[in-house]
Amino acid sequence: MNAAIEIQHLYKTYSRGQWFGGGHETPVLKDVSLVLPANRVLGLVGESGCGKSTLCKVLLGIEKPTSGTVLVENQNVAKISKTQFKNLRRVMQVVYQDPYSSLDPRMTVRQLLSEPLDIHGLYPQKTARTKFLKELLSAVGLAPNYLERYPHEFSGGQRQRISIARALTLDPKILIADEPVSALDVSVQAQILNLLRDISRARKLAMLFVTHDFAVARFLCDDIAVMYQGRIVEKAPAQELFTHPLHPYTRMLLAAVPQVGKKMRGASTPAAACGPNTEGACSFASRCPQAGSACRQTQLQEITPQHWCACSHLPEGENK
Amino acid sequence: MFKNRIFKRIYTNKTSLAGFMLVAFFALVALFAPWLAPVHNSNNPYQMPQRSYEIAPQPPSGQNWFGTTEQQYDLYYGVVWGARLAFEIGVTVTFFAFLIGLCVGTIAAYFGGKIDELLMRLTDIVFAVPSLVLAMVIAAMLGPDIKNMMIALTAVAWPSYARLIRGDILSVKRRDYVTAARTLGARGPRILLRHILPNSIYPSVVVASLDIGYVVLTAASLSFLGLGAQPGTADWGQLIAMARNWVLGTSQNPLAYWYTVAIPGGAIFLFVLGWNLLGDAFRDILDPRQV
Repeated sequence: MNAAIEIQHLYKTYSRGQWFGGGHETPVLKDVSLVLPANRVLGLVGESGCGKSTLCKVLLGIEKPTSGTVLVENQNVAKISKTQFKNLRRVMQVVYQDPYSSLDPRMTVRQLLSEPLDIHGLYPQKTARTKFLKELLSAVGLAPNYLERYPHEFSGGQRQRISIARALTLDPKILIADEPVSALDVSVQAQILNLLRDISRARKLAMLFVTHDFAVARFLCDDIAVMYQGRIVEKAPAQELFTHPLHPYTRMLLAAVPQVGKKMRGASTPAAACGPNTEGACSFASRCPQAGSACRQTQLQEITPQHWCACSHLPEGENK
Repeated sequence: MFKNRIFKRIYTNKTSLAGFMLVAFFALVALFAPWLAPVHNSNNPYQMPQRSYEIAPQPPSGQNWFGTTEQQYDLYYGVVWGARLAFEIGVTVTFFAFLIGLCVGTIAAYFGGKIDELLMRLTDIVFAVPSLVLAMVIAAMLGPDIKNMMIALTAVAWPSYARLIRGDILSVKRRDYVTAARTLGARGPRILLRHILPNSIYPSVVVASLDIGYVVLTAASLSFLGLGAQPGTADWGQLIAMARNWVLGTSQNPLAYWYTVAIPGGAIFLFVLGWNLLGDAFRDILDPRQV
């Protein structure tokens, strides 16, 4: 299988140096290995603060990995030169979470969409560029005559469409979507999700779709990876994950998805209520309904074909 | 959208309208000074005409509308050309102080780390000394002269802009659209000039333009102390300095020479009041916490 992005044993630790005394280190990503195959949508699901956005930042070269390698189109993001990275940006683009802060308020739609073209020297001729930008606006479901308007004249959903259009100006092969619908109304979410699905199919994009919402992930993703406190705890094709969730955390999350006509039972323990973890132990152990604090399995293992899980407490009938 | 809001606010609020009118009035006086008070010494129009060499001031009359001050300098000429000098000093000092503050604040905020620490502690040092005292020291070191006074005023005025711009840049720097520009492949200078500065400079520009009143007040203080304009210059502070001996009048009539103090003092008062009223209006409009 052709990999668009390959992450191997990625660690990211934020350290805060201080003038006096020692610094403080916060590990955010621990031993993350993931493969985003070409032309597929990979969902990355996890609760707030589990490291999803940090992973995106490392992929985009905004943060440097502490150790491990990130290969985008077989190029090591941390090793290549600035010029090579600039070329890589044409291949990999991003849609941000908040459509209100991700568009420069002092630029018109034309300026916003022209910027990537200017930077990479594409469509220098004015009429050709205008034609291209108008086609792009139509492609994301906006009227072509919106080019001269400012972001504040648009609704959140429309802004997110502009943001998607900006990501598509360079005709990328990989799209990273960092919670692109979580700031939107539910009715608008569906429209944007449909748009992302259509675009990823029409343009044969590989998409890393970050979300905390299983319902959204189920709608859009081919494969799903579940992240907990900086580790991937389970990954599987979407259908498989929803029918046979293996990791206790995944099952807890799926049980927490509200469903109409179903009574909620057994609220999960919030992360803040848990005690500190023992060194080397599974970071979920203190919340886990099945394990004591001594549970040490953190490595992913292939339980059934394509279905990886980092837990030894499997549901009955799912033995190795 | 933004400009309309400001003008609407100025028109609807009486105090801000008064401020606007005062500043506009002084601007007109400064602009038409050569017609209001014809130049008498073409080498230096700021040199006030001297009617005679008698010491005691003369009250307002047909020849000298506002009277004369010590040594028979014409007060009317002094006030009119003083308005022009006030704008000249205010605008020049504010412009250069803003420029220096912009550079320092931008470098500090953009590069961060040690450079930021160094530059900001430097501005703290300037802040630590009372600005009038520091301006006096610098002006005294350079020698009494209007140009040196402007240098001294610039030297004490820039830190507040540096701080303001640094803060605004730091908040804008973290916005998603700056990160977005980076992920599109934009390099540092482009991000700074096209995204960060246009979104962070505006409040500072407004604050700077409204500090003109304060600069003129400080300039008048320096001239009063003899560290700025020289005797005979049409400068409001200088005119008050020349009135120093006549504040108390004679033993029969303590207010005998009221015009020597009240006229240039009133000009400074109204000029600074105008800018402050206008400044309050702008600050209200720009501060999002106030509705």
